Amino acid sequence: MQILKVENLSKSFDGTEVVTNVSFEITKGEVVAVIGPSGSGKSTLLRCLNLLERIDQGTVVVAGDTMVETSSNGQVRYASEEKLRKIRLHLGMVFQNFNLFPHFSVLQNITEAPLRVAGLSIAEARVIALGLLDKIGLHDKADAYPYQLSGGQSQRVAIARAMAMNPDILFFDEPTSALDPELTGEVLKVIRNLASEHMTMMVVTHEMSFARDVADRIIFMDKGQIIEEGAPHQIFSSPTNERTKTFLKNFYNNSGF
Amino acid sequence: MFAIGNGTDFFRLLSLLFNGALTSLQIFFLTLLFSLPLGLLIALGRMSPQKWINGPLKLFILIMRGTPLILQLIFVYFAPFYMLPESMRFSLPRFTAAIIAFSLNYAAYYAEIYRGGIESIPRGQYEAAAVLGFTKAQTFFRIILPQVIKRILPPISNEVITLVKDSALVQVLGISELFRVAKNESSRIFSTTPLFVAGLFYLFMNWMVTKIFETAEKKLSYYQ
Ligand SMILES: Nc1ncnc2c1ncn2[C@@H]1O[C@H](COP(=O)(O)OP(=O)(O)OP(=O)(O)O)[C@@H](O)[C@H]1O
Ligand SMILES: [Mg+2]
Repeated sequence: MQILKVENLSKSFDGTEVVTNVSFEITKGEVVAVIGPSGSGKSTLLRCLNLLERIDQGTVVVAGDTMVETSSNGQVRYASEEKLRKIRLHLGMVFQNFNLFPHFSVLQNITEAPLRVAGLSIAEARVIALGLLDKIGLHDKADAYPYQLSGGQSQRVAIARAMAMNPDILFFDEPTSALDPELTGEVLKVIRNLASEHMTMMVVTHEMSFARDVADRIIFMDKGQIIEEGAPHQIFSSPTNERTKTFLKNFYNNSGF
Repeated sequence: MFAIGNGTDFFRLLSLLFNGALTSLQIFFLTLLFSLPLGLLIALGRMSPQKWINGPLKLFILIMRGTPLILQLIFVYFAPFYMLPESMRFSLPRFTAAIIAFSLNYAAYYAEIYRGGIESIPRGQYEAAAVLGFTKAQTFFRIILPQVIKRILPPISNEVITLVKDSALVQVLGISELFRVAKNESSRIFSTTPLFVAGLFYLFMNWMVTKIFETAEKKLSYYQ
């Protein structure tokens, strides 16, 4: 089943095109890793998909609902606010900088949206939150505040917060880039566990070994375009495009991967 | 200096000053009641991208912060009478005029404090709320405003302390607040004691204000 369909998506900032004519699909249960050099438009693409930016051209369909479409004369039309609100419930997002709510405890961070957006009861939201805290190994931190958490713990809570809304697809924008190297493992493990439970995910990452091991598919972006797309073993061992080769070569040289 | 005859006189002085202080406190509380929410509205309008909203509000803030409050008091009191065409003339009760002028003036100061606080909240907080599906109102009242309040408590407490002392300015409209009562009593009995005692009254009020803000800050120190 198709969760996300993107067709000819383009996005400019002040006349400079940052994402150019991007098309791809994600089916249920798939884990897609997006790699590419800095400034290639990976974050912008994710932000367009979860409505933090408005696109200039293209079509996005989420779980069968059209979020935005472009008519043949180039007119971009977003769904109504009400429909967008509904579509948003299908989408989850994990940011590089966690963006936890500092004035809420860990538990409140996770229950706030289920309570106020999904309309669950306090008891229901609590059960969900405590279950997720168990899964990420932070049951004992339920009453802690974000400032009391390490970066790795914060990011795991942010993942739980997104999961509490039971999204159909979860987007990650470099979930480990703000972490000390020794803390990336615990976050990647949580994402791995989600993958093993067939959570649909699109992960922008610079962690090549993670992308290789966990993703079902790799998308390589450069200069706003999808240059190459394929299974990890294909992209990593026999990339067809010169730019992909160069990017990966630089990467191997710098990391010994 | 302490030329107070006997206990009865002193008791009489205290009750006089106490009455004046009650008027000062009324001005104080009513001003807070109106200016704190009004300031928030002004701050939100001031941050609007629409020029026809933010432009006039910028000018309003400039005027309110750029001219003496004592002048604004006089203006609000006399303007409806002297600046309107004859058929529309009216005058506000002194006390009402004082509350209007104070509320507008303090709202302008609070607006800038709110704005500073709101603009200091990282974009990521709005974005996290947006992707979780919160409405704009939920985002503002549940996520942003509580964090803003924590950040602006210290500058707000400064303004509130100033307000206690500024309340003495309403005497230009002939309102018998604490300072005016003390001054009149001073000239009547040829003694500075009433003024000195009035000073202690102000000090006491601001000691209370300080305590209240300290408690509030402590209450909000459960997170960083
Ligand atoms: N709000 C914005 N306004 C103007 N330009 C922007 C904005 N956001 C991103 N850009 C530009 O768009 C381009 C793509 O940025 P983007 O953040 O999507 O790249 P990225 O692939 O995520 O890079 P990185 O790997 O460094 O995170 C960059 O040149 C960036 O400067
Ligand atoms: Mg990025």
